[in-house]
Amino acid sequence: MSSVTLSGVEKYYGELRVVHGINLIIELQEFVVLVGPSGCGKSTTLRMIAGLEEISEGTINIENRVVNRVAPKDRDVAMVFQNYALYPHLKVFENIAFGLRIRKEPKEHIEKTVREVSEILGLTPYLDRRPAELSGGQRQRVAMGRAIVRHPKVFLFDEPLSNLDAKLRTQMRAEIKRLHNRLGVTSVYVTHDQVEAMTLADRIVVMNDGIIEQVGTPMELFNNPANMFVAGFIGSPPMNQLDGVITTSATGLHATVGDTSIALPALDNVKAGQAVVVGIRPEHISMSSVDGLSPVPISLDLVEPLGSEALLHATVNGQALIIKAETHGEISHLHQVAEIYAPVDLIKVFDAETGKVLNSAARQS
Amino acid sequence: MLNWNLYSRGDKVFAIVVSILIGMFTIATLYPFIYIAAVSFSSGFAAQAGKVVLTPIELTTEAYKYILVQPEFWISYRNTFIYTIGGTIMSLLFIVPAAYALSRPQLMGRRFFNLFIAFTMWFNAGLIPFYLNMRDLNLLDSMFGIILAFAVNAFNIILLRNFFESIPQSFEEAARMDGANDFQVLWKVFVPLSKPAIATITLFCIVARWNGFFWAMVLLQSEEKIPLQVFLRHTLATLSDDDEFAITQLEAAYSAETVTAAIIVCSIIPVLLVYPWIQKYFEKGILLGGVKE
Repeated sequence: MSSVTLSGVEKYYGELRVVHGINLIIELQEFVVLVGPSGCGKSTTLRMIAGLEEISEGTINIENRVVNRVAPKDRDVAMVFQNYALYPHLKVFENIAFGLRIRKEPKEHIEKTVREVSEILGLTPYLDRRPAELSGGQRQRVAMGRAIVRHPKVFLFDEPLSNLDAKLRTQMRAEIKRLHNRLGVTSVYVTHDQVEAMTLADRIVVMNDGIIEQVGTPMELFNNPANMFVAGFIGSPPMNQLDGVITTSATGLHATVGDTSIALPALDNVKAGQAVVVGIRPEHISMSSVDGLSPVPISLDLVEPLGSEALLHATVNGQALIIKAETHGEISHLHQVAEIYAPVDLIKVFDAETGKVLNSAARQS
Repeated sequence: MLNWNLYSRGDKVFAIVVSILIGMFTIATLYPFIYIAAVSFSSGFAAQAGKVVLTPIELTTEAYKYILVQPEFWISYRNTFIYTIGGTIMSLLFIVPAAYALSRPQLMGRRFFNLFIAFTMWFNAGLIPFYLNMRDLNLLDSMFGIILAFAVNAFNIILLRNFFESIPQSFEEAARMDGANDFQVLWKVFVPLSKPAIATITLFCIVARWNGFFWAMVLLQSEEKIPLQVFLRHTLATLSDDDEFAITQLEAAYSAETVTAAIIVCSIIPVLLVYPWIQKYFEKGILLGGVKE
């Protein structure tokens, strides 16, 4: 059963179209993450679901009810804001209870529900404090408490972790995931951080310039990006993209990158001389020889040690390439790397003109 | 502690000049209060002779005894309280919702209404049309007329509107998601968050009402309806015109000057008492912690 359905949803600000006919079905209890760069329309889409922005075209359906003309309070959705939006003059208890008091719920019910929610979120010791007396993580938990307490049909999260430091963000990310598993409420989460998207989502919706580039599970998007944008957005560091030209020989299909030849998987939809972009993930690049593969000479610029792994910044005929290598506690050998191997079956080939993937596996997904 | 060695010569000169200017300004502001208080406790002769500078000369409370026994003084004092409290409440009832409505981007004709309100800051009908308007509304010599006629103040509306506009939109959105309507958003979110601004305009209203003199003099005829400031004016006129009072004042313990000063002191006291109470709302950082910018 679908929980939220967007059909041909568009948003105009005057003449400017910021969301271009989005179609998306979010299943019941699903955790969907809208991800994309700033200005891609993800927050606007979320706000249209919330009812905080009018829908210019199309319809939004929440549990079999078209909500285009329904006020935010009557949509049975709750939202966690990027800047928390906690009422500074109210104590934590009253902040969480606010929505229930507005809806004139009985006092005993409010007391019981707020206590239950505070227990879930570990906020019980802080109920008598004001927001200014809480840490960033605690404030975010209060914001979530305010959403949970109403038992809505859908949770909406608008970049809720972007104001937290890296450590707290990791911790809160896990808490949100645990909370979703426990409550099982349909959630739509907006972020520009692909790591958050990968770790939290059942499905990721990658948006760019007001359109959906691809929808899929985190691993689908990682393994089979539909186009260069998704390939460059998902993964950390993102997929390397080298401009090349298709050449054919007795040994198979190749892409010529400058004066270097890179073996490609078999493709039936390309012809010799066609401009393509060769995509290879940093972690898929091998530094030891692979049977049947010719080495690709690189020029190493920099080695960034990350502990168990290191990032090697290099160029192939002037085009930037990043390699992720395991260190095994030592990086001196990495400074000597002069050639790499790109496993054919892990390479993605994109049409240089349209940016779309040409490998069949991704085309099917 | 301030470490002067860290400051350049220019900075030191600047700090000294600023301190002197602030000191002079403080003295210029405080001196009239001190002078009036000193005169009110001086003898009529000393005040008349211009001997009072900083402290009371020939200390006496005769001027206070003179005014405090007059029933008109107490009636006008009561009236001033009515005009001040009633007028301030009436003003806030108009100003707060108006400022909220004008601060909302979704208000139809928002630009027009803002311009319309601001227009009245620079242009108004003038004395006679206003008087005629009040006459036609049967609000002459009416206490309610005084309270109602000056309830809306464009400057205060704009001041509060700007404050409301500075409140992050997410507060309103969060309240709306929680189910609040416009009145609830205003009353439960915006008003508590705007205490400093509302305290400021409350003080402006109180002071303006308390000191309200001209229109009260023009619009009110009955003695039992006049405020303290008009009573002060009447007293001044009476004492100055009273030949017998003028003849005896050389020996009198009080004079027109000391009585005037005593009435002024009596009229200042309530404002002085109210100010510290309101000042506590001029706290900074009321929004601190509610949102993360």
